[in-house]
Formats: sequence, C-alpha cells, structure tokens
Amino acid sequence: MNANLTSSSQWRTLDEFASQQQQREREAEFAAGAFEWPDDLSRRRFIKLMAGTLAMAAAGAGTSCTRQPAEEIVPYVRQPEDLMPGRPQYFATSAEMGGEAYGILVRSDSGRPTKIEGNPDHPATAGRSSVHLQAALLTLYDPARSHNVRHKGAESTWEDLLGTTTGMTPRWKSTGGTGLRILTRRVNSPTLQEQISRLLSQYPQARWHEHDAAFPAAAQPYTLHLEKARVILSLDADFLGPGGLHVRNAADFARARQPSLLGSMVRLYAVESMPTMTGTMADHRLPLRPGKILQFARQLQGALASPEAAVKNPWLAAAVKDLTEHREASVVIAGEHQPPDVHAIARAINESLSAVGTLIEYTTPQPQGGSLAELVRAMNDGAVESLIILGGNPVYDSPADLDFSKALARVPFSLHQGLYHDETAALCTWHVPETHFLEMWSDTRAFDGSLGIVQPLIAPLYSGRSAHELLAALLGEYQLSGYDIIRNAWRPRYATAETFEAAWRKTLHDGTGPAPQQRPPLAASAPATADGASPSAQDASLELVLRPDPHLLDGRWAENAWLQELPKPLTKLTWENAAHISPATAARLGLVQGAMMELAYRDRSLTAPVWILPGHADDCVTLHLGHGRANTEGSGFNAFLLQTSDAPWGGTGLTLRRTKRGPHIFSTTQEHQRMEGRDPVHLADIGKMGGQYELPPREDETLYPPVEKKRPAWGMVINLSSCIGCSACTVACQAENNIPVVGREQVLRGREMHWMRVDTYYAGPPEKPAILHQPVPCMHCENAPCEVVCPVAATVHDHEGLNLMVYNRCIGTRYCSNNCPYKVRRFNFLAYEDIRSPQLALMRNPSVSVRMRGVMEKCTYCTQRISAARIEAEKESRPIRDGEVTPACAQACPTAAITFGDLEDPQSRVHALRKSPHHYALLAELNTRPRTTYLSRVQNSNPEMA
Amino acid sequence: MESSAAEKCDEISNRISGLVLREPLRRGWLGGFALAFAFLMLLNAAILWLLIRGVGVWGVNVPVAWGFAIVNFVWWVGIGHAGTFISAILLLLHQQWRTSINRFTEAMTIFAVACAGLFPLLHLGRPWVFYFLLPYPDTMDLWPQWRSPLVWDVFAVTTYLIVSLLFWFIGLMPDLAVMRDHAKRLWVRRLYGIGALGWRNSARHWNRHETACLLLAGLATPLVLSVHSVVSLDFSVAIVPGWHSTIFPPYFVAGAIFSGFAMVLTLLIPVRAIYGLRDVITERHLDNAAKVMLSTGLIVALGYATEHWMSWYSDDLYEGFLVHNRMAGAASGVWWLVMICNVGVAQALWFRRVRTSPVLLFITACLIQVGMWSERYLIVITSLERDFLPSSWADFHATFWDWATLAGSMGLFFTLLFLFIRLLPMIAIHEMRKETVQEGEPQP
Repeated sequence: MNANLTSSSQWRTLDEFASQQQQREREAEFAAGAFEWPDDLSRRRFIKLMAGTLAMAAAGAGTSCTRQPAEEIVPYVRQPEDLMPGRPQYFATSAEMGGEAYGILVRSDSGRPTKIEGNPDHPATAGRSSVHLQAALLTLYDPARSHNVRHKGAESTWEDLLGTTTGMTPRWKSTGGTGLRILTRRVNSPTLQEQISRLLSQYPQARWHEHDAAFPAAAQPYTLHLEKARVILSLDADFLGPGGLHVRNAADFARARQPSLLGSMVRLYAVESMPTMTGTMADHRLPLRPGKILQFARQLQGALASPEAAVKNPWLAAAVKDLTEHREASVVIAGEHQPPDVHAIARAINESLSAVGTLIEYTTPQPQGGSLAELVRAMNDGAVESLIILGGNPVYDSPADLDFSKALARVPFSLHQGLYHDETAALCTWHVPETHFLEMWSDTRAFDGSLGIVQPLIAPLYSGRSAHELLAALLGEYQLSGYDIIRNAWRPRYATAETFEAAWRKTLHDGTGPAPQQRPPLAASAPATADGASPSAQDASLELVLRPDPHLLDGRWAENAWLQELPKPLTKLTWENAAHISPATAARLGLVQGAMMELAYRDRSLTAPVWILPGHADDCVTLHLGHGRANTEGSGFNAFLLQTSDAPWGGTGLTLRRTKRGPHIFSTTQEHQRMEGRDPVHLADIGKMGGQYELPPREDETLYPPVEKKRPAWGMVINLSSCIGCSACTVACQAENNIPVVGREQVLRGREMHWMRVDTYYAGPPEKPAILHQPVPCMHCENAPCEVVCPVAATVHDHEGLNLMVYNRCIGTRYCSNNCPYKVRRFNFLAYEDIRSPQLALMRNPSVSVRMRGVMEKCTYCTQRISAARIEAEKESRPIRDGEVTPACAQACPTAAITFGDLEDPQSRVHALRKSPHHYALLAELNTRPRTTYLSRVQNSNPEMA
Repeated sequence: MESSAAEKCDEISNRISGLVLREPLRRGWLGGFALAFAFLMLLNAAILWLLIRGVGVWGVNVPVAWGFAIVNFVWWVGIGHAGTFISAILLLLHQQWRTSINRFTEAMTIFAVACAGLFPLLHLGRPWVFYFLLPYPDTMDLWPQWRSPLVWDVFAVTTYLIVSLLFWFIGLMPDLAVMRDHAKRLWVRRLYGIGALGWRNSARHWNRHETACLLLAGLATPLVLSVHSVVSLDFSVAIVPGWHSTIFPPYFVAGAIFSGFAMVLTLLIPVRAIYGLRDVITERHLDNAAKVMLSTGLIVALGYATEHWMSWYSDDLYEGFLVHNRMAGAASGVWWLVMICNVGVAQALWFRRVRTSPVLLFITACLIQVGMWSERYLIVITSLERDFLPSSWADFHATFWDWATLAGSMGLFFTLLFLFIRLLPMIAIHEMRKETVQEGEPQP
C-alpha cells in the first residue's frame, strides 16, 4: 500500500476522483486557519505569523511539494533493535547559534522529534538547555517555513537552480570568481568553514562576508570559568543572557552562588544600562548608560592601580577593594557590545588580578569573513555579480544606512538560502529552502574544540537543502548528499577506515567527539592599553541603546510563536518590543508608560511606545531589535531602522518627540511587579550578616492533623538564589505538554496558557531596585482549594499527591481557577490548539492529551514522565529512584534551580532542600500545604556598601 | 351573598379578562414587544456566537474567570425573589394588599429565574456536558462533587424554578377558567380550557385549591431565604478575599429582595398607568413596596458596613487591601456607584412624598437596580481582579458580547412579560373577587 494513500484519497469513479481533486484544490486555496472570523478576538494575526504562507503549506503537506518516497508499508518481519512503538528514543546531535555549538539530545517518538534536551556529555550544555534550544522544535514543524525553491518569486526546482549555477561556473573559473560573494552568519561548522575556504581557493577572486546582527564578534573573545569565582564585575556583559556559553556560564554561576557556601558565595557587581538577566542577579548593580562605561572602566583601572584614586566614588572604592582582596578569584567581564577599548581595559585588569587562565581565557577569534559594509560597498559599485546568502536576512537585519535592499537590486544573480521566505528571499533572484538542523547532516565545534555531529532526526519536511549541499553544488559536487559531505570531511580526522567507522559511530551516539587533541589557541598577549577619550561620555543628549531581543534576537526567531509569546525577562512583554527608559528620565521628560514617542536619531526616526523600567540607566533609551518584521505582522517596531553601520549598538544624539497617538496598551503577562507587602519572594542577604545567616523561626505548626503522605510523595523545590529568570522552563513546559500559543490579542485579554510562568518583582527604590525572579508552576497543594469547589470532580488528588486535571470530566466552570491563590490554572477560553495543521500534529508529545476548548489545564509535574519512570521501576520491582523523574522545567533549567523528587524519601534531594533554613512555602498562611516550595533568594552584598 | 358583590365580581372578571380578550393590539404594546423581541434576537445571536467560538468571546480571563455571566445570574435570581416574597410570605402573613400585584410579580419571578438560569449554563466552557452537574446513574459511577457550592446551586435554583412555576400555575388555574368562560372564539376557549385543567368552580375545587396554594406558599417561603443563601455560598466558600465572608447569606437575601422590589416597582408603575389600573394597584401598594425596599436596603447597607469594618478589624492584609482597592483602586467607580445608589438614593424612601410619587419612585427603583447590578459586579469581578499574588493581577474588560448577553437577557425578560400581559390575566381575578366578597371593597 502506498504510504500516502489514505482513505480520503481513495476513489471509485472518475467523477468522484475529479470531485476529490476539486476538494483538494479548495483546501489548498482556503487552507485551514488561513482565514478566521474578522473580529477583535480573532487569531488572524497570530495565524498569519505562524503560517504566513499557509496556503502553500497545506498544498505542500497535502499534495505535491513534499518529497514523498513511494515506499511499501509492510509489517516488520524482525523488529528493529531498540525500536518499540510507543517508547521514545533519544538521539544526540548538535545545534548551532551565533557561532557557538550546543550539544543536545532529541527525543524521537515514532520517528518524529518531539522534544529537545541538553546533552549531559556536551561541554557547552551539560544536560541543560535554553529558550532557543527548546523553541527550535517549533521552527522545525512551522507550517510557514519555506517549501520551494523560488526563482523571482515563482516556484522553481533545485535542478533549475543547478542548471543556472552550472552555467555560471565556467565564467567563475575563467575570471577566478570575480564578482562572486558569499554572505553568512557566524559559521561554526568546521566542514562548512572548510567548504567555504575550498570555494575561496577554487575562485581566488571570490570573497566571503560575515554578518550576524545578534552575535557580534567580541573584540576580545573569551571563555569564562565562573565556578570558582568569588567576585565578578560585569561591564555591560550579559554572560547569563542568550548566546555564547550562557548555558554553561549560568550553571557555573549558580554553583558559585549557593548560600550554603556561606562566606565563599560569589558576589556580582554589574554595570549596565538596561537590566539584563546578569544584572538582576547582581548584588550591586550600577545603572550606567553605555557611553559612560568606558569612562567607568578607566576609573576602575585607575582605582585598581592606586586605590586612593577612587575615594570620590564609594561604589567604585568598595568594588575595587573587593576585587583586589580576592585576587585570583575575581574577574572583570566586558560585554560584547562594548568597544574594543573596554575589552582591552578589562583584559588588563584581569591580568593584574591573575584571573586570566583560571577564571577567564582569551581565545583567538574564529576565522571571519569580510564585513557587511564592505560587501554593500562592492554591491553599490557594481562589483558583485553573484551573491550567495547562506542563512541570514540582511534586508531586514542590517543597519539602515547601508540600505542593503537597494544594493541588492544591483546584483544580477542573488541566491538566498533560509528557513523562511523572508524579506531577503523576496528580493533575491533565487531562494532555496534551508533544512532545519534536525533534518540535516552537519557538524559543530564546541568552545573547547571538541567536535560534534549534527544528524537528522527526520527526513526534510519540505524540499530543503543544507548549506553543505548548496556549497557542494557550487563546488561542482552535485552528487554528494549531506551525509556524504560530512562523512568525507570526517574521514581524514581518523587514521584508518576501521578506526573511522568505530569513532564515527561513537561520536554519533555520544553527540560529542573525543576530547580535542589540542584546545583552540589562546590569544597570545594583552593588547596595548586603550587610548583616546570617548566623546559620547560627555554628551548631554539621550543615548540610543540597541540590543538584540532576549528571545527573537535579531529577528531570526520572529516566526517562532513560542518565543514571540514567551514573556520577556523583566517586562514580561509578549509579541512586541518597547522603548525602555528609566523612571527618572521619564519623569524629567514627562513621559508616561505606553506614551507613543517619535525617536529621532541622526537622520532617521521611528515611533515606539515607552516602557518605564525600574533599574534602567538614566538618559538613555534601550530598543530591542528583531521585531516589526514585514511578514510577521503587528508585533512591535523595527529598531534596525535606527541602526547605523559605524555604531551598530547605538550612540548619543537621540531625541524624543511626542506623537498624537494615544497611549499604547502593552501585551504583558504581568501588570503588577511590586510585592505589595506580600513577600512572595523571600529575600535574605548573607553579605550583610557577615557570612552567617539567621532567619526567623519557621511557623509550620498546624492544628489540623498532618496529611498522610504515601510514597512516593512528589514535591518540588525551586531555589530562587539560582533562578536567573531565563524562562527556559516555560518553553520546555510548552514543548513537553503541547501547550498552545494564543496570540497577542488573547495575551492582552489575560489568557496566556503557559503552565509555568516566571514572575518578576521589584523591591526597593525604583532607581536601584532589587529585581527578583520567581518561577511559578502548580503548587500541587495538599489542601488544594481548587479541588473542593469543582462541581464535577474534574480536579482531584492522586495517591502520590499530584493534583490532577481530568480534561474529559471538566465542564469549564472555572471555579477552580478563581479559588487558586497562585493563579496557575489556565483555561481554553477559545479553541487555542491548532489541530488543523498536519505538521503541528507531528510535533506533539504523544504522551500528553491535546486539550479542547472549554477545559481547564495546568501543570501536572509532567505526570507522563512519572508514569514512564513508574513503569520502569515496577518492571524491576523497586521504588523509583531519586532523580529518575525530571519534569521538563527542571531538565531545561540551566542553573538547576528546580529540584523534583519524593518528599518522603529521606535520601532525596528535595527532602534535604526542604530542611534548609531558607525553605519557605508561597502563601503558607493560607494553609494550602503546597508541594512546590521555594528557597529564599539570598543576596551576598558587600557590607561596606550602603 | 349580596347581589352587588356578585356584580362587582363579574365586573372584575370582565375587566381583567377584557384586558386580554377584548383589548385591541395597541401600537404601544406592539412597539414595546418589538423592541424586547429585537433584544431577544440579540441574545440569540450572542448565544450562537458563544457556542461557535467559545466562552472567550466574553471578557473573562485569568484571574477574572467569572464575569458578567455570574453577575447577571446573581442579579436575575435576586430579582426573582420579590415575586416569591410577595406571593408566599405575604400570603402566609395575611397581607391582603398583595392580592392585586402577586400574579404579576410571580410572573416576574419565573421570567427572572428563566433569565438567571441561562447564565450558569452559557458560562460553562463546555455547556453541552452540563448534565455532569446532575446526579444521574452513569457507567463510571461518577456523581457530582457534593462539596462544591455549584452543585448546591443547581439544586437550589432548579427547586426554586419548579416551585415558583407550580405556585404560579396553581394560582392561575381558576383565572384560566374565567378566561375560558369569557372567550368568544372557540380556539381561544379551547386553549384556555386546556390550561384550566377542567376547572368548574365547584366548592371542592376551591377547597383543594386553597390548600394547595397554602402548601406551596409554605414550600416557597424557605426558598426565598435558601436560594440566595446558596448562591451567596458560591462566594463565601471560596478563599478569594472579598468572597470569603460569613455575612454573605443574609446580606445576599436582603439584597435580592431589595432589588426584586425595585424591579416590581419599575414594572408596575408603567403598567398601572398604561392599563388604567390605578384603582387596583394603588398608591398603597407603591408605598408598601417602597417600605420593603427601604428596610431591606438598610440591611444591605448594614452588610456593607460590616464587611468594611471586618476588613479593618481582622487586620488581614488581603482583606484590607481589597477594601482599599475597591474604594480607591482602578475600579473605584463601581464602589462609589454602589454606595450612591444602594445606600444614598435608597434613603429617599424615608419620605412619604417619594414613596407615593410614581415618578420619583420609578427613578429611585431604576437607580437601585443599577446599584444592585453594580454590587454584584463589585463582589464578583473586582475581588477577582486583585487576589493574593500581585503577579496575577489583571483587569476585566467587558466585550460587546458581554453587554449583548446582558441586554439580550433583558430582551428575553421583557418579551416574556409582554406576552404575559397580552395572554394571561395579569391580576389574580379570583383573589380580587374573593377580597371583594370578603371585605366588600378592595382596600384603597
């Protein structure tokens, strides 16, 4: 039987066949979800965003465009080893972002990748992951991905493209590739680097350019080892934020940040403009606009050289004293958006603190192509005849003064390869769909030099090609598949064919290759001390600060609805961005939250709503890039319109003008961020207690009889000292539990569906607030208020203490949500789950029900994972071991802030954590007896500072 | 029996049945009916849209998972209470003045409960499985969860509807017989005859009828107190600040009668003017109804005072914040509206001039109804907007469909009422006759 012969495609008469054909055409034209009720509640925009080209998606998925091999479906005669229907398998592979490799394990259910986790054996992830790694799954299945090779917008084929490029090869050969340019983002894959250099050597006149709007190459690239750090000073460095080795840094930092370390707990000073995740974890945070950071760095350097120089500035004096007292355990980190001078100063300080080599290692930059500005200059000069864009979207994400689209119009042959038919694809003569990293063969190099293989978990869903395949075609190796390319590239790394085969298989299995023979070279010597005063530091006007969006980065994730709807750190904004400004500056300019302002910078301007952000530095405005994409309608503004190529991260000279538009309503998921005297986050400061801590005696006495707990009694402890507020838990939960996306309008109505949320609170004065994160899943209360009020017993307790939702029984009175003091219950007010896109059906976790409209849902502690572990344990007649069950949130958390286990097991980690003096229950006074509890947020401030 | 009494009885029968049988269709009635019917169609559209899209067409969200539907439910159930109060409690207390208005107010009760009954069903996420709320024998041996006040609600409201309907119908039977006897056309006679269930005015009929009425009045009387007490437990049982309060049952019952009498006056004042019934529904009725409103209004005001005092006296962080938020927070307008209408305006009823002036009384009654609806909004919605964790706080914004459903439910109510006025005797003929016979004249 043919693989795609389903009952609906069977026909008996020719008339019936014809009518089915018409039906199919209608479906292709009016695809599911392509039009919606035009009403203010409509999910139209969201659907557009998820599936801008859904009509093509349906056509592609339903009929002709996918490569559907004519295969026989026959039952297994012999069951393949390890393949058990209904039991997931895990495969190791690697993901790459911003030139960095992340080792991952991918769960595969019946051949469909359904969840991404960190690979415990990989140095960059160590079993942990990040929002982007989690959300990459949705991109794989996104119906809006590009499906076809296109030539001038019309559908074409790979073979047509090959015909064109083959026709051009003789000329390239004769001219040495004059006029041939390649533009990439930061390249990590060693094989791709090899291919590029082969192409460049084949065509000596060809040039390679690199443009990565989210991950600029730092002036002095470094690797951090923070586990042993005692004092860290960050100069606008968000080492816990997206990109780079953030997963590893976060894990190291959290290990150094435990209150149980008492006096040796790390202390963090942060100097930055807009509060980053790093800044929120700081004990002392100095809001400073970026232009003044160089000046500050100089003062710091001066004060370190002669401590009396810093007496004027008590903050600086105390920080300097702390740094010098902890020589060899203190480090100064400069941010990637800072100018080379700041990096040079930081490096000089680190060398004087003897931190280099232990806490921080400076590395040589990866081989790098020419800049985008050079390319645009050549394009405008007419020197570029053929431009190959491998990934990337420069029409959108390049500085406005370059006017890339105008330059692109002068290039006769332009080829764009990308996951989406984006702004650049629309303007290029050719477009080739790119394969997702879960669909292709490739390789990666981790920061320590260890190699990993990227292996496909699924055949390409659309007619995509990998960058390797495209480059091979340009090199004339048409016949090579991605598999051959990578195998061929790896073969020379091993001595003989036998050792190769075994080593290849082992690397494929482990996800990471043998330890590197040699680490990547470290940078040799410290560069000269920076010179020249920065003029911007004295400028009195407002400073523009451009930064990649924490979730969308430079817009490369803008099509990903999980990331669009994931509340951003601090503001909890979804689907849009804002012009962030400090309370003092807002007061000085007379601005209110949501005021629509025209931002004029140099000779360009754009209109953006103001968000007054406590803790933001005065006299500057931070804009996040990545929003306002043309084909992802209605979400924010495009800050690239203010970007200039000479100062891509902003500069002084920004002016604000009022517009006539009324105040903007932000789609935020948390409108109130003060604690209102309720102290949901307990805050302690061991720094002020001289390294010791004494906490008020805990009051968990009750007059009621204790609740009898049967083993296993599942419980969770969340360590607020570790949580950096990155929201990886939220996306991991969304991926694991088939949680739908609701769209901006529904978020505005307060109907987001995340089972796990990360609350942010401010404490203290608005100009210098303590910024606190609190992940809130279901508390699984022993005296659950939701259970008594449900009229149909749709929410009940099970024997292991889980508070369950029985979706089939729920009639949707929503009484449980009203009575939940933690408000962790989520209701399907409308039919949120997209059950019509066939691709999304492949993505879902088969162990978790898809909820229909009108039922309540909430965190289950990943009950499907508990069941799987229970089955395994029962087969072996043993209790479930501690650590055998890890909910998705805990597994994703880069800092291991979430611990899950059996409360009644005296050996379990949760049992021990519950004994901690920092342990507390949220709203304990309500006597709900929650199973999810917290460890206080513990700060380690410098007692010498106010 | 004096002949004049018999003549008067005939005159009453003729006059009241004539309102239905001989009165021509007037333009005013047609216009009013058309308007009400248009709103009923709006309700239909709103319900259809709700069933197509889901409960998300309303403004409900998390944390405010209960919105207009519950506000409207409590408000309509409350309005119904006046009818039962008049027909049952006043009957047992031998308050003869009730006679001329009890039929009308009983009808009002049934229509109000019908409107109220819609809302809990529509408000469900999956209304098609509403029967999970009922204790029916199912194969999984599942019963409702008896600890939930919503289950108590189901029983309280359905009992109330059934008893009210029975009470109304039993009272209506002799009058349907009068209609049958006065009707000219055969099919009209037949129709009323079916409703009269073969009533022949025999002494035995009257005897049984009297007993049945008394028994049902005895049954209905506790319902006046129990239904709204149970409804109030939906809130009292929950832990939400602003809901979790033991004074709710008496305070809700008083509020129900308060708003019910306001509705009675809102309806009776125009009806008696239009149909020339000033001699039947006299100023004494208005005065008495206003006195009931004044006294229940004072109980409600005492409830408010107690609630606010307790929030201070308890020294509870959440309760204290709640009261502060209601008085000065984002939705403080609602609190002030409630206080002005229910506490302020109601004090006008101390004055006899207001109580006997139909225009002033009508305005007062309308304001009190607005106030009582707002009070339910205050309790249901503003409490949910600010509960325990500030991170979850969010505001409720009603959508077009929220308002359409509220307006549509009024459309349903008035459509039924207009039909009632045209099709059934709106004043109890037999009771009026009885009074005439017993006391010579209906009391002024």
